[in-house]
Amino acid sequence: MKRICMMMGALALLLAPVQAIAQDKLVVSVWGGSWRDMVDNLIGKKFTAATGVPVEYITGGTIDRLNKEKLAKGNPESDVTFTTSHVGWLYANDGLYETLDLKKVPNASNLVEQAKISPYHIGTWAYVYTIGYRPDLLKGVEFQSWADLWRTDIKGKLAAPDFDPSHLIVVSAILSGGDASTWEKGQAKLKELKPNFKAFYTNDANSQQLIANGETPVQVILSMNAHYMAGEGVPIQLVIPKEGAVLGIDTVALMKGSKKADLAYKFINVALDPQVQAEVANFKKGSPVVLNAKLDPVIAKLPGVFTSADQWNEQAIIIDHKLRAEKTAEWRKWFAENIMN
Amino acid sequence: MAYASVRSGRAAVRPFLRLFVAPAVLCAFAFAAALAAVMQYSLRAYVPGSLEAGGFTLANFAALMRPLYARVFLDTVWICFLTALFTLVVGYPLAYALVHARNVALKSTILVIAVTPLFLGEVVRTYSWIVVLGNNGFLNSMLLKLGLIDAPLQFMFTQFGVVTALVHVTLPVMVIMLAAALSHIDRDYERAAASLGAGPIRVFLTVTLPLSTPGIIAGVTTAFAWTFSAFATPQLIGGGRVNMVANLVYQLGFASFNFPFAASLSVAGLVLTFAVLALMRAAARPLERIRQH
Repeated sequence: MKRICMMMGALALLLAPVQAIAQDKLVVSVWGGSWRDMVDNLIGKKFTAATGVPVEYITGGTIDRLNKEKLAKGNPESDVTFTTSHVGWLYANDGLYETLDLKKVPNASNLVEQAKISPYHIGTWAYVYTIGYRPDLLKGVEFQSWADLWRTDIKGKLAAPDFDPSHLIVVSAILSGGDASTWEKGQAKLKELKPNFKAFYTNDANSQQLIANGETPVQVILSMNAHYMAGEGVPIQLVIPKEGAVLGIDTVALMKGSKKADLAYKFINVALDPQVQAEVANFKKGSPVVLNAKLDPVIAKLPGVFTSADQWNEQAIIIDHKLRAEKTAEWRKWFAENIMN
Repeated sequence: MAYASVRSGRAAVRPFLRLFVAPAVLCAFAFAAALAAVMQYSLRAYVPGSLEAGGFTLANFAALMRPLYARVFLDTVWICFLTALFTLVVGYPLAYALVHARNVALKSTILVIAVTPLFLGEVVRTYSWIVVLGNNGFLNSMLLKLGLIDAPLQFMFTQFGVVTALVHVTLPVMVIMLAAALSHIDRDYERAAASLGAGPIRVFLTVTLPLSTPGIIAGVTTAFAWTFSAFATPQLIGGGRVNMVANLVYQLGFASFNFPFAASLSVAGLVLTFAVLALMRAAARPLERIRQH
C-alpha cells in the first residue's frame, strides 16, 4: 500500500508541471498553412511576449473547425476562433460564441464600422473578390464594370469560385436593379453569363494555377491571391469595378465556455494593434480593419486594400453577413443547378 | 453434452478467434453508427443559417429526382465504367508482363511503374495531371511540336481529362489484382495448348484470358467502386464542369452547409453503388462459367 501511495505521489509530481502548462496556454482555432503561420508570427508571438502565455493552434478548414466546435459545444476546443464573417454567424446562431465586451479590447475603438459584424465577432482583416485578368492574354479587353464580364469576347475564358457563388449572385442582382435580399432579380442575367465560364476553381491554389497557366485568363478572384501571383511575376491586372468589389472579412471571436476569456481579449486586442494590422496588410496584401494602421504606401495603393473610411464606403459591395449565412445554401444550390451544370 | 464438446473442440482449434475478430467487430460498429448518423441526417430538414437539422422529412430524397442530380448520378456511373474499362486495358499488359518477364530488372521496373501512383498523394498526383493536360501543358505542347494539331486541344475540364487521371489512380490496384490472378494460372495449360499447335495469340485468347477472369472481375469491380467515391480528381481536373456524386456532396454539404441534402446524396450514392455492383456481379456470372468450362 505504502509503495502504491509513493508511486501515485511521484506520478502526481510528474504530471503537475504538465497540467500547469496546459492551463497556461491560449488555444486559437485558425486555417492552416500561411494563415496559421501569419497569425502565429504577427499576433501569437507578440501576445506571448506581452503575457508570457504560449499559444497553441488548432488548424483546419472552415467547416471542419465549425463542426468540431459544434460537437464540443459548452466545452470548446479553442478559446479564440478565426473564421469568415458569414460563417461566424453560423457559430453565433448555434450559440458557440460569447458576446464580446469591446471595452476589454482598447484597439477596437478604431475599428471601421464595416468590421463590426455582430455582437459576437469582429473583423481582423479584409479583402475583396473582384475581377482579375491577364492583359497579356486578353488583348484590347478592359474591365471597368462588373457588366464587362458579360462581354462576348471572353467567352469560355472565365473562372469563379465553386465554393461560394455569392459574389456573382449579388453582382448580377445589382446589375439587374436588385440586391442580395432580392437576388432572384439577377437570375436571368446570371444565366446569360454561362457561356463565358470555362471552369470553377475549388481553392486558392487552384485559382492561382488556372490564372498563372493562362487556362482561365479572367477570374472572379480573391484580391490577396491576385497580389500574391503578381508578386510571383504573373502579369495580373486587378480591377475595382465602378459598382465596387465584393468585400470579405475574416473575423475573430471568443468561444462560449472558454476559461481564458481575459487572455482571449488580450489576444484579440493584439490582433487589432495598428502595427500588427499594418504587418498583416503588408504580408497578405489585404485591408486593415482599424483606421489608425500605417501601411507601406506601396501596399496602400494596391487595388482592394482599403485604408480610409471613404474607400470602405465607396469601393466595397457588402453582402449582409447574416443574410449571406442564411442564403448560402440556397444560392449554392441554385448556382450548381443553373450555372455549373 | 455432445454439443458442448463440439464447441470446446472448435475453441481449441481457433483459440484466438474472438480476440482477432474483436477489432473488426468494433470497426463494424463504428462504421454502422456513422452510417446511421448519415441516414438520420438525410431524413431531416435543412434550417437556413443554422447547423442544426430540422424535423423529419422526405424532401431531400424528393429533390434528388431533379434532372441535374439524375444526370450527375448517370455521369458518375459512366465515368466509373470508362475508368474501369481503360484501367483494365492499360493494366492487363502491365500485369501480364510483370508475371511473365524473366528479367528481374524488367520486373522491378514494371512493378515500380505500376505501383508508384499509390505512393503519391491524391492532390499532388492530380495537380501533376493539370500540368500534363493544360492548354500549355506537356500533352498539348508535344502535339503542337509534332505538328499534329494547330491549336491546343481542350483536355482540362472534360470527361476525357477526368477519366485519364482516374485511370492513373486505379491502375496499381488493377495491376496487383491481375498479376495475382495471372500468377495462379498453371503454365502447363498454356504449354499444352501451344504443343497442340495454338499460336501465342490463340493461347492467350483461349487459355490465359479465360483463366484470368477472376482477376479481371475483381479488378474491374474494385476500380469501379473506388472511382465511385472519387473527389479530388474530378474536382480539380473537372473544374466544376465534370461533376461526380462526391463533388456534389461537397458542393451542397460543405460549401453550402446543407448537410441533410448532402447526406441524402450520399445515401443515394451508396444505394446506387450497391445496385451497380450487384448488376456487375450478375453480368460476370456467365464469364465465370466460361472459365470453369
